[in-house]
Amino acid sequence: MFVRDYMTKHPVLVEPTMSTVEAQGIMAETNIRHLPVVETGKRLVGLVTRERLRIPAASLSSLNVWEITRFLSNLAVKDVMVKGRDVITIGPDATLEAAAETMARHKIGCLPVVEEGIITGILTEVDLLVQLAGLLGAGVSGVRVTIRVPDRLGEFAKITSAIASKGWGIYASGGLPTPKQPETWDIVIKVRLAPQEELIDVLQSIEGHQVIDVRET
Amino acid sequence: MTADIRQHSPILKLEDVAISYETRYGDVEAVRQVSFDVHRATTFGVVGESGCGKSTVAFGIVDFLGANGKIVDGSIKFQGRELVGRSQAELRKLRGDQIAMVYQDPMQALNPSVTIGDQLAEVLTTHRGLAKNEARQKSIDMLSRVYMPDAANVMKRYPHQISGGQQQRVVIAMALLNNPALLIMDEPTTALDVTVEAVVLDLIEDLKRDFDTAIVYITHDLGVVARVCNYVGVMYAGEMVETGSVEAIYDDPQHPYTQGLMRCVPKLGTTKESSRLYPIRGRVPAPKDRPKGACIFAPRCDYATDKCHTEHPLLREIQNGHRARCFYSEVIDPEAWEPPEGLVPEIAPAPETEEALIRVSDLRTYYEQESRSVLSLVGLGKKQYVKAVDEVSFSIPRGKTLGVVGESGCGKSTLAKTIVGLEAPTGGEAQFLGFDVTVPLSNRDLKLIQELQMVFQNPDSTMNPSYTVGHQITRPLERFRTVPKASAYDEVIRLLNAVRLDGSYYHRLPRQLSGGEKQRVGIARAFASRPELVLCDEPVSALDVSVQAAVLNLLMEIQREYGTTMMFIAHDLSVVRFFSDYVAVMYLGHVVEIGPAEDIYAPPYMPYTEALLSAVPIPDPTAEQKHIRLEGTVPSALNPPSGCVFHTRCPRRAEMLPDGGRICEVEKPPWQHNTEEHRIYCHIPLEELRKLDPVVTEV
Repeated sequence: MFVRDYMTKHPVLVEPTMSTVEAQGIMAETNIRHLPVVETGKRLVGLVTRERLRIPAASLSSLNVWEITRFLSNLAVKDVMVKGRDVITIGPDATLEAAAETMARHKIGCLPVVEEGIITGILTEVDLLVQLAGLLGAGVSGVRVTIRVPDRLGEFAKITSAIASKGWGIYASGGLPTPKQPETWDIVIKVRLAPQEELIDVLQSIEGHQVIDVRET
Repeated sequence: MTADIRQHSPILKLEDVAISYETRYGDVEAVRQVSFDVHRATTFGVVGESGCGKSTVAFGIVDFLGANGKIVDGSIKFQGRELVGRSQAELRKLRGDQIAMVYQDPMQALNPSVTIGDQLAEVLTTHRGLAKNEARQKSIDMLSRVYMPDAANVMKRYPHQISGGQQQRVVIAMALLNNPALLIMDEPTTALDVTVEAVVLDLIEDLKRDFDTAIVYITHDLGVVARVCNYVGVMYAGEMVETGSVEAIYDDPQHPYTQGLMRCVPKLGTTKESSRLYPIRGRVPAPKDRPKGACIFAPRCDYATDKCHTEHPLLREIQNGHRARCFYSEVIDPEAWEPPEGLVPEIAPAPETEEALIRVSDLRTYYEQESRSVLSLVGLGKKQYVKAVDEVSFSIPRGKTLGVVGESGCGKSTLAKTIVGLEAPTGGEAQFLGFDVTVPLSNRDLKLIQELQMVFQNPDSTMNPSYTVGHQITRPLERFRTVPKASAYDEVIRLLNAVRLDGSYYHRLPRQLSGGEKQRVGIARAFASRPELVLCDEPVSALDVSVQAAVLNLLMEIQREYGTTMMFIAHDLSVVRFFSDYVAVMYLGHVVEIGPAEDIYAPPYMPYTEALLSAVPIPDPTAEQKHIRLEGTVPSALNPPSGCVFHTRCPRRAEMLPDGGRICEVEKPPWQHNTEEHRIYCHIPLEELRKLDPVVTEV
């Protein structure tokens, strides 16, 4: 799971000299929130977001009506963009979790994907959410089970071998330490081709495992 | 995989685009009300006959319309950005960075005096400002990416030193160097051989998947569309008449024009009886003659009512994104369509005869080539020969048709020229009606010339532009004294009528005729001397599908009427199947398989025939076709491979013969007889070849 496989290739790009009015129009037209700013050869020089295009009222308060019009019509992308090195980017070979961490740490909504200074794609929070949903099997029907297991080596293997021995398949899985209970983990699996009752029996019969939630999706 | 729930906006969005050209008669609207979207990693195919405005749309997207063309209405949005009204400077930047184009003739896109490496690297040094070395390395990578054999070496060559298919790959590589979001391809494979075309189409599919590129693919070939496109827009006379997914359009065409197109394309894999072609009557109107305030297709439509002639239909949704510009889409049932009176002639089966009209055995035509050694200057050099036709034997029964197929450079045309006398054979025998046809044309009996006529590929270059149609057809009549001089005029009119042209064409000049009409005149001229044998060299490959169907039907009808024997040269295997009683497959001057048409299209196949068949684009997205691709190009005829001429590219010998098929390299294969008439030139035993599955299986 690398950034290059999940990024959006061919992002919508703008030039530094474009007026902010036009940039806003492009955002509305294509329903996107981030516009990488490039120079010749798709070299990344900045980033414009919807927030950046929102002109703070304070900067206009001292101007009269005519001055406001002129101010706005002269405002170009380069005047409002996040510039050059301040743009946080990622390489195409980074992992998805590294990208997610970077975005969470800096509290940003997108990462331009840059290779040798040239933009090759963009990864946004929506792309990550889509993959999160996919990881846990959203959009596929099956039985979704949450199992609380002791934090020991080999517990997950017990679950998979129990399911495999029955001839069922795990479509999606994920696990996190139980909140506020460091000694256990909560594991979510989505199982296909399995009757719900039988599946629970099989999982409950593993020593120390506790099925805490079952739902058919 | 889960479906992508993100909603990406289209890369390219056209809305109600109208494009006009300024002419002496005022502005002529070439294209109007064209709307479509192209999304990332999908191919949108634009199909239609010539003169329907397909290329105008493609050029319009990047405003390459020339000095007299202009976009008069509508909007073209690329990545949310309006392109209409942009300055040329801004567009040039976009074209370099984010939009790329590939055109029909690769030789016109490449500079003949600059090496391929320099041309590719220039893209990167100019647009990306890369250093030369780096640009070079990236170019080599990209050449390998488009499956160019020996990429590093190709960089040093000039465009004329590589084959047409490789040239087109260079152009595609060049287009992709900047990783464009949108790729516009205008008939990129039309000039290529069917086997090369298949490889390039596979490449386009791979690139679309790997680069997420949105592709606008313009073509007249419904088979190609079925193979590469996800969505299709059918254009007719400057309007989009139907759009939808490729499956929907082929499975359930909603517009009468689309239905008509489907009926006039020859289909591979069907029986000869069911592969009848139904042309669309009339022809595409010129832009200034298009009906105004009415359905543009109404004059040619079998379902037209008064409403169609007085009201202009809108492109409206029929179901699930499938749109058609017709009032009666829901009412029309294409299954119930019956050809109107006189559209297709009744064609009786050819009479059964055993008598062979022409018998050719061991015919060879070599071209002498001077050796480059110094000795040749004093006449001591060893002579080299291009073996254009080698060891060819066949016979055609009276009244039947022999189809000859093969890639370009296989000697198909040389064979025809040798028989007709334009080339002198080097050896072998050819008997026709008791005449020896190995004598050169100038020594031939007038009677023989009269009995042997030819229809050429390009009607433009075979007619004298300053003579009227009547004059051109009268000439053979006078020369051969087919009819008394006094009734020559009546005979010309009769011939014109036979090719479905009325008497008014007598006084017209070739430039006043459409391509299909010119080809009809060419046919009338060939039949004027009432020949016994007519050689047709690619007679329909320059024509649009609906015209092609009409010309083919006409040829067949005349053939039956006069009992003429024909040799029909074509590269399109589906056309040959429909038209021929016998088929000969040629490779590098040799006939490698010959037999009745039905036998050629079913196992056992000669491996080359199998590869040719699996390369033919089939106008049916659901048909299953074997995936066999030939490596490389046809070897040079100057130095043909030893043993079996096909062994260098044969995909079967390694797996089906012991010892990896060593025998093919050293020994000439035997003629194996499947039936008395069907023979195959191959080392692989017939029992093994029979086990192969048919190439095309219809679902």
